[in-house]
Amino acid sequence: MWTMLKQVLYAQWLASRTPVVLLALLGFALPLFAVYWGSGLEAAGTAGVAVWMAGSESIAALLPYLALLVGVAAGFMAWSPDHAGHHVYALSLPVPRPLFVALRFVVGAALSCVPAVALLAGALIAGLSVSLPDGLHAYPFQLTVRFLFATLTIYSIIFALAIATRRAQLLTAGIIGGVLFADVLLAALSVDYSVTSQVLLWLTVWPGPLSILGGSWALFDV
Amino acid sequence: MSYAIETHGLRYRASRTFEIRDLDLAVREGAIYGFLGPNGAGKTTTIQLLLGQLRPHGGAIAVLGRRVPKDLPEILAEAGYVPERPHLYPYLSVREAIRYHAAFYRSFDAAYADELLGNFRLPGDQRLSRLSKGEMGKLHMLLVLAQRPRLLVLDEPTDGLDPVVRRDVLSALLAFCSQRAATVFISSHLVHELERVCDWVGLLDLGRLVAEMPMEAFKNGIKRIRLGRAPAATDERPFELVSRDAGAGGETWVVRGWQPAMVQWFSGAGGEIREVEDLDLEDGFVELLRAARSRGA
Repeated sequence: MWTMLKQVLYAQWLASRTPVVLLALLGFALPLFAVYWGSGLEAAGTAGVAVWMAGSESIAALLPYLALLVGVAAGFMAWSPDHAGHHVYALSLPVPRPLFVALRFVVGAALSCVPAVALLAGALIAGLSVSLPDGLHAYPFQLTVRFLFATLTIYSIIFALAIATRRAQLLTAGIIGGVLFADVLLAALSVDYSVTSQVLLWLTVWPGPLSILGGSWALFDV
Repeated sequence: MSYAIETHGLRYRASRTFEIRDLDLAVREGAIYGFLGPNGAGKTTTIQLLLGQLRPHGGAIAVLGRRVPKDLPEILAEAGYVPERPHLYPYLSVREAIRYHAAFYRSFDAAYADELLGNFRLPGDQRLSRLSKGEMGKLHMLLVLAQRPRLLVLDEPTDGLDPVVRRDVLSALLAFCSQRAATVFISSHLVHELERVCDWVGLLDLGRLVAEMPMEAFKNGIKRIRLGRAPAATDERPFELVSRDAGAGGETWVVRGWQPAMVQWFSGAGGEIREVEDLDLEDGFVELLRAARSRGA
């Protein structure tokens, strides 16, 4: 089992290393960009700290998008090597199909952790490179855990869609199309109600599965 | 008699215009079974059904004494499959592809893989995306042979390969078969290619098994007989009449299961034979197909 996992991981790394490295670089760089505003922080007054915090938070606000990007990319990349070969080779291997899917899932999840590790490194360096005023703290580990959860949530959703049967994929596309169509219909009838907004609300507000993308993503906080 | 592959009443509807219909295959253990058929006959579909890549709509499949799809992992552990088109991961190098493949098979013989790598003159560090079609075919063959399988399923393994590569691939296959009592199920539309390696042959057309017989019977038992006068009674014959064409100078019959002593049956039935002509394998294949299609029509 370990040998199989090792080989699938290595093959997947070869297939997706370029985007993984690029996303990891982004993950590493964003916290450092966030402290760019930290230069001369000690000398800044209360107003200066507030400006710096606002700048830092605006950079940190990009992190959920990065998590989304990593999750989506990892989800597609985990299945695409087999999909490109119409699964002929994968299906000829002597492993139960659920086990092969699990191998692919674990490998994709492992690779989607690489940007999170880079983010942690960037956040730690960023935290150490700035002298924070009293009352402000850096939260590199909490931020990384949040990023990791968000990434893995998105990754799981995309992976599930990618491995789904054609019928299930069409059903999903049909539901999305139905929601959009309902909105067009309601707008045409001059009804002031958006199904899309309602669905997005349901998805992104706790306990919605995408609620992890909301809330505070700040590296520095009180 | 034990069979490496057995199907009973196998049915699969691929589209509105094509289906595998009530396919009964019986491939003896240790046989090199040629699965012949024109393009679009359903050979690849049948192979995919046998290996559990497609789910049948009816019938039963047993491979190496186990049921498909129930015992698929156990079957695939002992079966090597070379698909019609290569589907290996193109970003791996040859050696990486071997290591990847080996990880899934307990029986994988790394030393034999190394030996074949040398014999096939494959560049170990080359990415698969940069291999030629012939090199890819050889790599596929290497992978399945090094698995040391009990059953080899080869789907048009030499299609599109140049004669040198084709000879290398078939030689490796025959060497493997001579060392081990493996069963080989090889599909092709190239009749002469199978003639050299197979001892059994099954003929598929439009999703139906038209004929299944020992290669020897296929090679020697199909004759074209030119008759000066057709026999009167034609209902009870000691051979199978494949086709019958009436011409200006008499009738021409194509028969199956022919033996020289059957000449007497013709004279006894009032017929007159002008000539008994050997059909080469390709002509025999064409005649069997034509007869099957006219029966179907």
